[in-house]
Amino acid sequence: MDNTVISSTLEDYLEAIAALVEINGHAHTKDIAERLNVSMSTVSSALQTLSSRSLITYQPHMPVLLTARGAERAAVIRNRHAALRDFFQNILKAPYQEADAAACRVEHALNDEMMSKLVLLAEAISTRDDCRQLRAYLSRVMPELRTESTTGAPLVALSELQEGQRGIVVKVDDNLRGIKKFADLGLVRGSLLQMEGHAPFGDLLRIKVMSSSLSLRRQDAAHIWVRLTDNPADSMNTSPQGSR
Amino acid sequence: MTTMTSYRVALAGNPNSGKTTIFNALTGTRQHVGNYPGVTVERKSGVCRLDGLNIELVDLPGIYSLSASSIEEKIVFQELLSTRLDLIVNVIDAGNVQRNLYLTTQLAELGIPMLLTFNMADDARRNGLQFNLPMLEKYFGAPIVETVGSREEGIDELKAAIAKALRQPAAPPTPMRYDQETDDAIQDITAAISQLPPPPGQPIPPRYFAIKLLENDPEVSALPTFAEVLPLAASWRDRLALRHGLNSNTLMADCRYGMIAGACREAISYSHEHRQQLSDALDKVLTNRFLGLPIFLLIMLAVFTFTFTCGEPFVKLIDFFFTRLASGLGALWPDSTLPLLKALVLEGVIGGVGGVLMFLPNILLLFLAIAFLEGTGYMSRAAFVMDGFMHKFGLHGKSFIPMLLGFGCTVPAVMATRTIESERDRITTILILPLMSCSARLTIYLLFIPTFFVERWQPIVLWIVYLLGAAIALGGAVLLKSTLFKGDDEVFVMELPPYRLPTLKSLLIHTGERAIMYLHKAGTIILAASIILFFINTFPRPQTYTVDYEAEAADIVASNLPWDETKEALCTLNSQRRAEELEYSIAGRIGKKINLVMRHAGFDWKASSALVGAFAAKELFVSQLAILNTVSDSDCDDANEMLRDRLRASYTPLQAFSIILFCLISMPCVATVAVVKREANSWRLAIAQLAALTAMAFVVSFLVYQGGLLLGFSGVV
Repeated sequence: MDNTVISSTLEDYLEAIAALVEINGHAHTKDIAERLNVSMSTVSSALQTLSSRSLITYQPHMPVLLTARGAERAAVIRNRHAALRDFFQNILKAPYQEADAAACRVEHALNDEMMSKLVLLAEAISTRDDCRQLRAYLSRVMPELRTESTTGAPLVALSELQEGQRGIVVKVDDNLRGIKKFADLGLVRGSLLQMEGHAPFGDLLRIKVMSSSLSLRRQDAAHIWVRLTDNPADSMNTSPQGSR
Repeated sequence: MTTMTSYRVALAGNPNSGKTTIFNALTGTRQHVGNYPGVTVERKSGVCRLDGLNIELVDLPGIYSLSASSIEEKIVFQELLSTRLDLIVNVIDAGNVQRNLYLTTQLAELGIPMLLTFNMADDARRNGLQFNLPMLEKYFGAPIVETVGSREEGIDELKAAIAKALRQPAAPPTPMRYDQETDDAIQDITAAISQLPPPPGQPIPPRYFAIKLLENDPEVSALPTFAEVLPLAASWRDRLALRHGLNSNTLMADCRYGMIAGACREAISYSHEHRQQLSDALDKVLTNRFLGLPIFLLIMLAVFTFTFTCGEPFVKLIDFFFTRLASGLGALWPDSTLPLLKALVLEGVIGGVGGVLMFLPNILLLFLAIAFLEGTGYMSRAAFVMDGFMHKFGLHGKSFIPMLLGFGCTVPAVMATRTIESERDRITTILILPLMSCSARLTIYLLFIPTFFVERWQPIVLWIVYLLGAAIALGGAVLLKSTLFKGDDEVFVMELPPYRLPTLKSLLIHTGERAIMYLHKAGTIILAASIILFFINTFPRPQTYTVDYEAEAADIVASNLPWDETKEALCTLNSQRRAEELEYSIAGRIGKKINLVMRHAGFDWKASSALVGAFAAKELFVSQLAILNTVSDSDCDDANEMLRDRLRASYTPLQAFSIILFCLISMPCVATVAVVKREANSWRLAIAQLAALTAMAFVVSFLVYQGGLLLGFSGVV
């Protein structure tokens, strides 16, 4: 039993080998290295470890094959991955790529029992009749909830905006002093801002928020993150006042 | 007789929403109208009669939110919590509905009937905004009236709407709907609060407190009543914050702005794009990184030149009037009846108060200029432009506005420091404010500068004096911020409202208000001080004189000279007598005692005695000096010119400059000490300020005078 408990890195190797075997019937060191984006030598040392646990048969210059135990173990890992990906995709309504990437990171952290329970929950939500309302609710609510940090252009600190540039607030750091005050004045997520200029000696910035002009300190503005935009309609303020 | 039911209506709204203009239009009460944040710090109320109803209208300070994050917000919260209100009139800048409605969403939760006023509706329409008012009315559960406060448009409709809302007590606005989960949270906390005894004061719906607890409002969370609900509110807050990926402190702000955005998307349309191009173009120049500062300094110089040159003819006119008044009265009033009272009236009252009123034109022009700069919105630009500079001295742009007002009068300037959130910055600003030359000190400069400097140099010298005061103030600020008031900077955020041309009416109201304040001061404190000073100037009287004045006078009259020469000789004789009397009086004795020290700074005993008067009010330095030089004697010629002649005879320009400096820096007047005590809430601070400033004034004048002597400027005539 002990030797089936392997590190998360090795799980990734086993998963990769299983995927390659499924496609090609066998797996070459070179393919594994390519798939996991690591060097050949790293692959060989990992393969030796897997081989020592009798999960694969591995001899230099020969294709890698899964042992019966290895195949079983790989299947468990791949099922887990798929179950998590489905959960992220179907229930949390994440796009496929994102769900896949998240599954990769989470799969190693859950033990088999917890994993099975999660799968059970996902199935229940997806299939049971008494969850119909819940499904409707989720498909309505989940897509709305998108934190911008995972999508689109890189974030820029408000203090770095050039004069005339516009951005939509994506995130305000928790440690911004007087965060409530800034929020009261309209510096909340989704607001369209435009840099209007700097005061002499440079410490104060002037930005347009909604239809008013506010001045604040550069070091405070550095805690407000925006995504540059040319299309003010993306923001929650529909006012064309902020546009030029 | 019918019972007089009186209704209480509050005006609430963002700064710069034109609230005060609406207030003036409704009540006709005179009130300060400004254009930079936080001008309405005082609670203002007025009474008006609408459609047979007696209404007390309260003008609440301009605020952005009910978050208790500034003094204004705290004042409003207290006002709402402690008094019964029948209606809230929420004034909204129609050109910036989204931001303005943020406050509305909070006011709507108070359970008080509300009326919305979309002010400056003409601007909004010109900018292409169209409102679906019925839809917005439904959203906020309150009727909406469009107005243009500056032109008094829509005021009749507003009055009718107020009367209607009071006559048929409308239901309070329907509670706001945020999103499902937030609404659930509010409901849950509301239910928990309903079980508790309500906080003392005005009944405010539990739902309002539930929202405030949910957003972790420090003021409401601190109410002991709610201690046991805090954990519930905290757990909901964390849950919602996690759910929305937001900071738990800004949760409700996000919700409100989100809801407003939704409402605006449906109810407001934009027919064409239009910006306040003129305002933006002006700002490109006036707040330019390189031009902003020089332009600001030029504007200040222009203000002082304007004050100086345009005021002069009026000053002469008033001077002429008081001189004639005194001589006319002196001629009518025989010397034999109540000679002491005659002297008191002619010298103490007319001389003292007249000397102060003489400078009223200058003061009015200065206030007019400041009111214009405030009204246009330039003042907040000045703060913006000056911030970088002020920041180097540990202050920020907001301290600059009180400092600028300090050029008018230190008392309102000290009161204007309330816009500064940080207590440390506020106290620092208050402590250095007396160094900004107030208009009362202007009277001293206006006397001395034209006396000792050629006309071409007069504005420049005045400008230097003002700048010097400001420089010492800034140096003091650095010192204070690096010693007594050390610590981190506070949050700074300031709105720059669009440029607007202030109406003549608002300028006149503003200037008139200041003039009344000044006259009030002249009429009370200065009158009282003039009388007291008359007594300490007059008593005790010398028993014996060095010269037998009666005999000398008889000789002059007997010598049969031409009338002119006789008069002049008598005049001189009389002056000598007065000087001798004064020297013997309490004021003279105090002056001489002070002068033991002050003479090292170029003072003589007359100037030193005048300092006694300057403490009562800076202007009294001038009238005291006038009495001490016996120029208010109505038998003699043009009093002001004569005083200047006397001064020219007594002091060198170096001494004059030293005296000016001392008056600039030295102890603030009684009114300032009193207001500093009130605003800083500490006698210790007020007295420490007085002592420190006076000590500093002596050191500076001493150094300038002695330094000047060493450099070869003559110290004696």
